[in-house]
Amino acid sequence: MGLQPDTRPAVQTIDITKVYRVGHIDYPALKGVSLKIAKGELVSVVGPSGSGKSTFLNLIGALDPPTSGRVIIGGTDLKKLNEDGLALIRNLRIGFVYQSFNLIRRLTSIENVEMPLIARAVPEEARRSRSLKMLSAVGLAQKANKRPTELSGGEQQRVAIARALVTEPALVLGDEPTGNVDSKTTQEVLNYIIQVNKTLGTTFILVTHNPDVASMTHRVITFKDGLIEKEQYIQRIDSYTGP
Amino acid sequence: MLASDIFKLAFKALRDRKLRSFLTILGIMIGSAIILALIASSSGLSAGVQGQVSKIGANTLTVSSARQFFGGGGGSTQGYQLSQQDVSTIKSFQGVSDVIPYYSQRATISYGGNSIEGELIGLDTSALSTMYKGLSLYSGSMPDPYDPSAAAVGYSIAFPTGSSDQLTLNQMISITLGGSTGGSLTFLVKGVFSEYGSVLFSNIDDTIFISLQSAQILLKTQYFSGLYVMTNSAGDVTTVQQKIENYYGTQVRVMNAGSMVSSVESITSQLTVFLGSIGAVSLFVAAVGITNTMFVSVMERTREIGILKALGYKPKQIMAMFLSEAVLSGVVGAVGGTILGYVLSFILGGSLSMFGGFGMGGGPPGQARSTSASSTTFTPVFTPELIAFSLLFPIGIAVLAGLYPAWRASRMNAVVALKYE
Repeated sequence: MGLQPDTRPAVQTIDITKVYRVGHIDYPALKGVSLKIAKGELVSVVGPSGSGKSTFLNLIGALDPPTSGRVIIGGTDLKKLNEDGLALIRNLRIGFVYQSFNLIRRLTSIENVEMPLIARAVPEEARRSRSLKMLSAVGLAQKANKRPTELSGGEQQRVAIARALVTEPALVLGDEPTGNVDSKTTQEVLNYIIQVNKTLGTTFILVTHNPDVASMTHRVITFKDGLIEKEQYIQRIDSYTGP
Repeated sequence: MLASDIFKLAFKALRDRKLRSFLTILGIMIGSAIILALIASSSGLSAGVQGQVSKIGANTLTVSSARQFFGGGGGSTQGYQLSQQDVSTIKSFQGVSDVIPYYSQRATISYGGNSIEGELIGLDTSALSTMYKGLSLYSGSMPDPYDPSAAAVGYSIAFPTGSSDQLTLNQMISITLGGSTGGSLTFLVKGVFSEYGSVLFSNIDDTIFISLQSAQILLKTQYFSGLYVMTNSAGDVTTVQQKIENYYGTQVRVMNAGSMVSSVESITSQLTVFLGSIGAVSLFVAAVGITNTMFVSVMERTREIGILKALGYKPKQIMAMFLSEAVLSGVVGAVGGTILGYVLSFILGGSLSMFGGFGMGGGPPGQARSTSASSTTFTPVFTPELIAFSLLFPIGIAVLAGLYPAWRASRMNAVVALKYE
């Protein structure tokens, strides 16, 4: 009898809520969100500011615990993990791409890409070669020894993508990954995401304000006031050619 | 996470804020250097004093006028004056084998083109080898104790460094007294001693010995600078000291080898405690500096901590990264401080040697103390334990100082940290 294919969803949330308390006042950011995102899906999360998109991303990124409800990543219930376990999930299964790139300024491009591998004690030679390969894939091999301050916004975002993908995570979370780059770079970034999604089967969840970016994903989840307002499945895309 | 990676990242972080890191490390260096230099110097001084005292033997006492002991000047009528009568009195005490009176005065010795500052000691020259254990002649013979023009000189007087003029036997030298005495006489060099070093804070190599009678004429006084009292055995020293003290009361100061050592050790230990507290305070200030620098660093790098958390760094890994910055500062500070302390201990040695001026009654009544401060030298003592302490203590302090800021960094909320501007 052969091994059964893993049919567990990449991400599953069961009635998750998140309440922030400032002083004596509670601010509910998520009011009960349940959804499943299948492996290999390319999903966009849209909605107005304050609708709970980023909070949702933080909860499924194992960065913040929900006030109630459960977050299950690749079959692992995050509630059952301690701090070290959550760190391990982030390192092994999740990659993050942020609007503001979040690169460490004193490190070079390649050193930034190496950072997730350093955490898991990959020997220097191996991680150097993997990181360089990743930088080549995003077209930045020749800028491996440049610091973020010496790169354009688009280049910085590509370094950040290389860093998110160097560990070959099953899930990549993007918090407005094209929010700080021009339309040409947006096109390059999205095309690369689509390519990785198709070839490696990596699940992408992208929070975005850009309806054109959202239209290129498999599913658009719209948040409003801490709840899912609607979900819309759209035709599978092959490449993004810009608005 | 590999330890080598932790330290590489720590090094890059320290290099990123060079000036701040340098100042923090400098603080550690100064504290560590002061402590090392003090301990090495005071150990060296104690060892040096013990070595010098051992040269005069355990059965020797020195008697000097109480006024003279701490270098007090004053008129010739002040203070007790030791005379031939006192020599006879003390000689009559049971347990005393001999009493050797001496004169001691700072003087300038001139010959050829040389003019050398040294110590003039007038005494029964036949007693020299009894008094200074192991003192031997380099050339010539011991001067006749009854020859008023005969002198024997220490090695450095005969062969002064940096001068081509060297003293030969039977050469005439002129001795001019320092201070208000101001007399001058000419002598014939009959003997030159081999290198001997310091004894009881006088450097024999810088000393010229003449007969008691000649010193009496030169110094124009019949009162002695002090008396060496030899006892029959080392066991008699305490009894004889007691007898002399009972007889003379507070008019004279009687010292034996042990009390000289304890006098100097008491001074050096007080000095070490005092300066050591300065060193400890400066190390404490350095520790506060590390804590402050680390807190500022943690605050400035809040967003970076958020990034590390997002990339999957465990709290203990983040703590190790920040703590290793403190360790690295401590290591550099400790190594630098040990090197600086090594150099400083020799500089400090020069300053501490002035305290070696205690012990011997010097100069005739009415004169300032004649023993040369610079004539007493010692080598700082560096034991492996001291070096290990000097290296490990500042590192320990740095680790303690960095512990809390590093812990704070590791406990930071990832979401809040990522939003930090």
